Formats: sequence, C-alpha cells, structure tokens
Amino acid sequence: MPLVRKPANHSPGPKPDASKVLGLLASANPVERWAAARDAANVIGGVSAIAAALPTEHDSRVREAMFTSLARHATAESTDAIIGLLRSDSANLRTGALDTLRILVGAAPELLPRLLSDADADVRILSCELARSLPNAEATHLLCVLLAAEREINVCAAAVDVLAEVGSSDALATLNECARRFGDSPFIAFAIEIVIHRITSQSTPARA
Amino acid sequence: VPEFPALTEEEFRRLCEYLYRRSGMIFTEAKRYYVERRVHERMSATRSASFASYFACLRINARGENEHFVNALTVNETYFYREEHQLRCLTTDLLAERIREKRKGEAIRIWSVPCSTGEEPFSLAMWLLENWPRVDEYEIEIIGSDIDTKVLEQANAGVFGKRALMRLSPYLVEKYFSPMLEERWRILDDLRHSVQFSAANIVEPNETRIHGNFDVIFCRNVLIYFDGASRRVAAENLYENLLPGGFICLGHAESMSRISPLFEVRRFADAIVYQRPAGDPN
Repeated sequence: MPLVRKPANHSPGPKPDASKVLGLLASANPVERWAAARDAANVIGGVSAIAAALPTEHDSRVREAMFTSLARHATAESTDAIIGLLRSDSANLRTGALDTLRILVGAAPELLPRLLSDADADVRILSCELARSLPNAEATHLLCVLLAAEREINVCAAAVDVLAEVGSSDALATLNECARRFGDSPFIAFAIEIVIHRITSQSTPARA
Repeated sequence: VPEFPALTEEEFRRLCEYLYRRSGMIFTEAKRYYVERRVHERMSATRSASFASYFACLRINARGENEHFVNALTVNETYFYREEHQLRCLTTDLLAERIREKRKGEAIRIWSVPCSTGEEPFSLAMWLLENWPRVDEYEIEIIGSDIDTKVLEQANAGVFGKRALMRLSPYLVEKYFSPMLEERWRILDDLRHSVQFSAANIVEPNETRIHGNFDVIFCRNVLIYFDGASRRVAAENLYENLLPGGFICLGHAESMSRISPLFEVRRFADAIVYQRPAGDPN
C-alpha cells in the first residue's frame, strides 16, 4: 500500500528562551523574525519589544504575527501599544491595529468609549467600526453618545453606517437630531433615512 | 417549533449581513426558507419572543448562541466522503500542483485536523487509493489530529456505524470494511494502520509545530467556533505547518480571507481553497 505511517514523536516542544526570542525580532532574516514575533506572545517583555519593532517591520506576514501576539498578551500595556499604532501615518499599521482591536473590543468594555472620544477624528472614524462587535444596546448607546456631540460629518457617517446593523429604536431620536444638524448635507440625511427605515421595520425593539 | 411570524425583509437582510460579517457565510433570498427555519428553531430553544430579541441574543453570544446558530445552519456531523467535491479537488488539482516539485517516491504529507473520530483521514486514504492514478508513485503520509483524546481512541479503533458510511457505495463498504454486529463496521487493518493519529490543539504553536510541514491540510468546520484572537493564532499555526505552495481546505461555510491575509485564494472547478504563497520562505 502506498500509504505510509512513519514513527513520530508528537509531544509538545520546549518553551522558547525569552532573551533569544526578543533578540531575534531584529534579525535580518524574516523567517527568524516571524518565529520570534509568534514566540513573543508568551515572553515577558514581549509587548514593548514588539511595539518597538512594528513601525520598522516591512514584512507584512511578520507584522501580522506581531499584531496577533499583542492580542494574545491582552494586557493594558498591549492595548495601549495597539492604540498607539492606530495613529500611525502608515496605512498598514493603522489597518493592522484596527483589525487587532476588533478582536479585543468585546473583552475590554472600557476600550471603545475611550477610542470614540479620542481627539483625533480619524481615530473616531475607525473606532465606529469596532462597535459592530458589541451587544446591540451597548453599541447603540455608545454610538448615540458620539452622534449627539459629534461635529465632524464623516465621523457621524461612520457611526450611522454601523447603526444600520446594530441600531435599535433607542437610536431614533439621536438619528433624527443628527439629520437636522447636518440638514445641508443630503448624503447624511439619506443615510439616516435608510437606518431609520431599517430600525422601524423590526417587529419589536432589540434589548440586549 | 412554535409558530413565529416570518422575518421582515429588513430583518432577513440584517441577519444575513451579520452572518456574513461574522462568519463569511453568504445567504440570499433564495435560502430564506432554510435560514428562517433555523432562526425559528433557535428562537424556540432560547425562548425568544421576537426576532429582535433573538438577534440581540445572537449578537452578544448569550450562552454560546453564535455556535448554536452556526451549528444549526451547517450540517455539523462527520461521515465518510463528506464534502466530496473537496476530495475531487485534491486529486484533480491540488496534488497535480504539489507533485510538480517532487520526484517519484518522495513524500506527500496530508493533515486532517481536527479529525474527530477518523472519518475524514480514512476518507482521504480511501479516496486516494480509488481515485488518484499516481498513488503508487509517492509515499503518502496521512495524519489525523484532534484536541480530544477520546475521539482519537475511537479513530484508532476504526469502528463506524451505519450513518458514518451513508455516502459510501456498497462496493467501497465491502472493499474497505468488515461487518460487525449491530450495524457496525470495522475498517480494514491495512487502512487503519496507514493513518497516524495524534493529539493537537490547533491554537497551541507548541503542539502544531511538531507535526512538521504538509502539502495539504484539511481543517474543516472548526475555525468558526473560535474567538477572533484564537482564530488568528490557529491560522498562523496552519500557515507554519504548510510547505510553501501547500494548500488548506476549510469547511464550505468558512473563509480564511476574513481571518488572515497570509494565504492566497485559489479557485478550482470543484472547490475554493487557500494556499501558502509558493514564494514565502520556510
């Protein structure tokens, strides 16, 4: 029979050596940096080492592994490091940071209010998208708080887009007020009209 | 299932958009009846009074509702020759690409993870013996791994019930199985001994790395059950376990593109699969 079964030892391998791992994050060899980026998820000092290495990392797969390792640390320090990269001038780093925050935001309730009140409108726009991963009522509340005070129309548009999925009837008053506030912008009025239609088409309000 | 009102157009659209974002599964109006039936079953099971309250329950994943709903939407059972189109893709397209770089007699390694009670890795073995004319020219190694050591014991025993064999022709059952009592069949020893089973958690790099590199990995209907971080870790582990140019086959409702940018999408006549780029260093 051409099918073969080779003797193999499938016992888990040894834990990586911390100082070696952190040193290899700066290796010239991308294969070594990839392995180090992954191993750094289980190493003390891994967060600061990855945060320092990410802005100069040019290999997309190594960057991906670095972001995943930051997510696996799941500490305040690692979250701060990811948020810092949301402000980067590099689109690759911003996208990587946003994708990583998306998988963290459900487990860290304090994270999104902080991001939605950030002084940087670009951060607020990106952060609206993160609300999709929250319960309806919580997402609706946070986006309504944002909409009530927001002066940047593009931030409002981002929030309205998310409310099309998560919004409940609790958002109707805020949406109507937002449409009035930006009355000279047919675009936002049209977007809000669609969301209101969606919400009022539901059989009963969503409560979560 | 009690009577529930039909979903409104907006409710159905909202649900489908959510499912797409969450799992990559695409349902259109053509599947409305199928989806609605599952929604009503789950509304009944969760005692939800309305679609809105059920959708809220789904979105917050109350009592693991996401998993229950996805289970209801996908046929979550294992049997021989499940998703046969992927097996056809393996012998028609994937292996043809893989052997371009191999000499005769070289090893082709295939990993079934998670393998549950063994139907998938044994299906791979049988399919190759029956359908790949070049099967004798290479050393083919099939490994089945699962986190659950109890199912691995069952896989090693190689005993299966009638339901597991439902897709196999009488010819294949007779050729590869011997009947036992109470509508049970034991897979032939030659075949049983040709597949190796091992314990592995696909989110633990230490447990996956030791399995080495594979030409093809079958990892079906498991990633949908992980949270975002674990899914990314699993994707990176699977990437590491593939040879450059190697392929990964997911369940029909799963999409690697929504999990990780590490893979390239390959569309073949019988299946969409994901490939570790051939140029990626190993």
